[in-house]
Amino acid sequence: MMAAMICLGSLGCVAALLLAMAARRFAVTIDPRQVALMEVLAGANCGACGFPGCDAYARALVAGTAKPDLCRPGGAETLKRIAAILGVEVTERPPQIAVMYCQGGLQQARPKYDYQGLQDCRAAQKLARGPKLCPAGCLGLGSCVQKCPFGALSIDARGLAMVDRGRCTGCGLCVAICPRQVLALAPATESIHVLCNNRESAARVKSYCNVGCLGCRLCVRTAPESFVMDSFLAQVRYGRGQPAVMAEAMERCPHHCILNLDEQGNDQILPTPPSARERSTP
Amino acid sequence: MKSLLLIMVGAVFVNNFVLARFLGLCPFLGVSKKVETALGMGMAVTFVMVVASGCTWLLHYLVLTPFNLEYLQTISFILVIATLVQMVEMIVRKSSPVLYQSLGIFLPLITTNCAVLGLAVLNIQHNYSFVQSLVFAFGAAVGFTLAMVLYAGLRERLILCPVPRSFRGTPIELITAGLLALAFMGFAGMVPN
Amino acid sequence: MICRSFPGGTHPPGHKTATAHAPSLICPLPAELVIPLAQHVGAPALPCVTAGQQVARGQVVGRADGFVSVPVHASTSGLITAVEPRPHPCGAELPAVVLQPDGEDAWAEEYQKQSFHVLSVEAMLERIREAGVVGMGGAAFPTHVKLDPPQGKSIDTVIINAVECEPWLTADRRVLLEQMEKVFTGLEILKEVSGAGHAYIGLEDNQPDVAALLAPHCQKRDIGLAVLPTRYPQGAERQLIYAVTGRRVPARGLPMDVGVLVQNVGTIAALTDAVTRGRPLIERMVTISGPGVIRPQNLRVRIGTPVAHLLKQCGVTEEPAMVILGGPMMGVAQHTQAIPVVRGTSGVLAFRRQDVPITTAGPCVRCGRCVAACPMRLQPTFIADYARRDELDLAERFAARNCIECGSCSFICPANIPLVQSIRYAKGAILARRRRM
Repeated sequence: MMAAMICLGSLGCVAALLLAMAARRFAVTIDPRQVALMEVLAGANCGACGFPGCDAYARALVAGTAKPDLCRPGGAETLKRIAAILGVEVTERPPQIAVMYCQGGLQQARPKYDYQGLQDCRAAQKLARGPKLCPAGCLGLGSCVQKCPFGALSIDARGLAMVDRGRCTGCGLCVAICPRQVLALAPATESIHVLCNNRESAARVKSYCNVGCLGCRLCVRTAPESFVMDSFLAQVRYGRGQPAVMAEAMERCPHHCILNLDEQGNDQILPTPPSARERSTP
Repeated sequence: MKSLLLIMVGAVFVNNFVLARFLGLCPFLGVSKKVETALGMGMAVTFVMVVASGCTWLLHYLVLTPFNLEYLQTISFILVIATLVQMVEMIVRKSSPVLYQSLGIFLPLITTNCAVLGLAVLNIQHNYSFVQSLVFAFGAAVGFTLAMVLYAGLRERLILCPVPRSFRGTPIELITAGLLALAFMGFAGMVPN
Repeated sequence: MICRSFPGGTHPPGHKTATAHAPSLICPLPAELVIPLAQHVGAPALPCVTAGQQVARGQVVGRADGFVSVPVHASTSGLITAVEPRPHPCGAELPAVVLQPDGEDAWAEEYQKQSFHVLSVEAMLERIREAGVVGMGGAAFPTHVKLDPPQGKSIDTVIINAVECEPWLTADRRVLLEQMEKVFTGLEILKEVSGAGHAYIGLEDNQPDVAALLAPHCQKRDIGLAVLPTRYPQGAERQLIYAVTGRRVPARGLPMDVGVLVQNVGTIAALTDAVTRGRPLIERMVTISGPGVIRPQNLRVRIGTPVAHLLKQCGVTEEPAMVILGGPMMGVAQHTQAIPVVRGTSGVLAFRRQDVPITTAGPCVRCGRCVAACPMRLQPTFIADYARRDELDLAERFAARNCIECGSCSFICPANIPLVQSIRYAKGAILARRRRM
């Protein structure tokens, strides 16, 4: 009994001593902040920050080589906590989600040729710049769907990628993988978008599909505060749109490419502004 | 010499630690996604097993036996192995960051690896001499590495298979591991135990 | 003559009889020629003419830009109407010189025919480069680069590639039969320029008439005639070198690494014209064939002639469902007939709707036929599968980059899996990733 206690005790002491010496001798300092950061980060290892995994991002944060606002899935809450741990001031970035700027599905957009082959947009894009006449429209082969770690993308009946706005975290992986840049990040609070990605003139767009933005400027003339032209493509001025006038512009758009998207990404009728409602109901 | 060879072959194939004795299953399932990482894990295990088996053999015959404390075997072995792995980790981390990057991440996994403890205990049970126990440790580690690399190779191919939905992921991987173990059963009886 | 055969390969049906025995015809000039400035591997030529300018036949319209580049010439005399992006066989719209022929077809300068013996090696290389001679088998690699190996590499064997393993195509065969004298002269020039001691002509045994015709000439000139068993892709450089000499070109190496120079028959004929007469490469033999063509034939076509014009010359049964530039195995299906014939275009094939079955890829049944057919000894099914799942590391480990994209695997696959396309995609992605890193 005694021998056992002494033996095991001394063994433990020797081990502890060795470890203590080793710890002193071979000490490598880890920043405690790095450990704290790992707790805070989303932990999805999605790579949207540009680092291979959350661990690498935490290390880069502590080393000061990365900006603290890169964790997109974490959003504003994570950003706040990262800032607290690192003790830096950050301006809050509004949460963003992906928007698919194309309505030219199988029925609407004209094909360039019949594509048979690898079901991957990037592979199809390499064959004569894609099987659709429109050089900017969604190919609908689903490279983004496979890439999305949150299951927020799907190919709908029209043969177009569709963003589930409820599930999208705005990590931007789909934006990076899309060979035609038809997906882009927009402020999550915005639901009205001009769903076209083609900056070419009306004649060309008309030859590609019957739902593309023609660049007719009707929306800009109707609501100059809310819309802006980028060559022949109208775009919503995010953060400055006025829903009441935008509704009118939506009505007047000849190709109906200004849409109000709901949670699932489907088109929805713009809610009547409160002022109008008061007037209509006695 | 012949007996050493028999011990070696027996440890690698016939009584493979993972596939016949079912020891060290958690790293076997955990770090076998890619052949490279499986190989790295195998090397780390080889190193730790050989050193640990030497240390525990000395501990058993120089400390525990003289004081008639063989019943403390398990607890003292755990203590020694844990200390050893921790120390190795620290030294590697300080002296060679490159090696730590490739090997070090597996070391904490080995600390509580039953394969290492099992090996130490088996050494004593089989009444191996010091040299024999080192050879047995090396053989066991090579067997472990072999099983890991084979399994990792299978898993790399498994990515390509149209597996039924309910079997995807862990279930099919466990079935694969089982089939691999069955295949290793073919070595049974090759070396007299 | 030792005849080995390369590993793998397939036997696609030949379909060559329709065009093999008829002499080639001269294709009349179209109303408009579209001469792309990028017709070769390497930097595209820089335009040196402007719209509204009158040019003569053979006048330079695009200057070479760097060493791995060649000039581009006007295929006939006429008026430059535009220098603008036009559809190119590669699928994109690339800068091209648009030329309206005036019908005179007047040469810029008249050259005296001259024996190559009086020229120095440098002068011959310069003429080859100035004439814009590129590999006319399809790859369009500038010939002067191939003939000028870097320090420390030497060439001891020249092989003329008359294999033409692609189905339907007979352009090389017609060049060999009709311009045999030019081919032999070209071979002499090649030996002179490269300093090679041995010369071979590689041929498949499905052309016994050509072999019989060539045999006495070859014997007289001490040229080896290698009649190889018909198999696709015998005409691929590495496979031909192995079949003829038994040497293996290292993976991702060049034929010059094993001291071999391979040139296509058409290239040799063009090269002879370039050296002895100073004539630029403005015309080539093109096979117009396929089930959708009424009068399949070989035409001598000016570079820049639109495909639509060629199909009109030969007649099509209906609006073709698919038009392929090149052979059916490695050629590229085109989405418009506005694309012009370029220096690397060996054939134009038109297929009807019923010849192009709509296929969907089935699951891989692991029959292993693609593995047996791969002439590079790869495992196409695994590379393609990994490519589809974006596992580029694994695709690279299975040597995706060694693929020569011959199409044997896709041809043989009973499940219609687009293997080559997947592997090509993996190659591109691997290279892109390397450049990023």
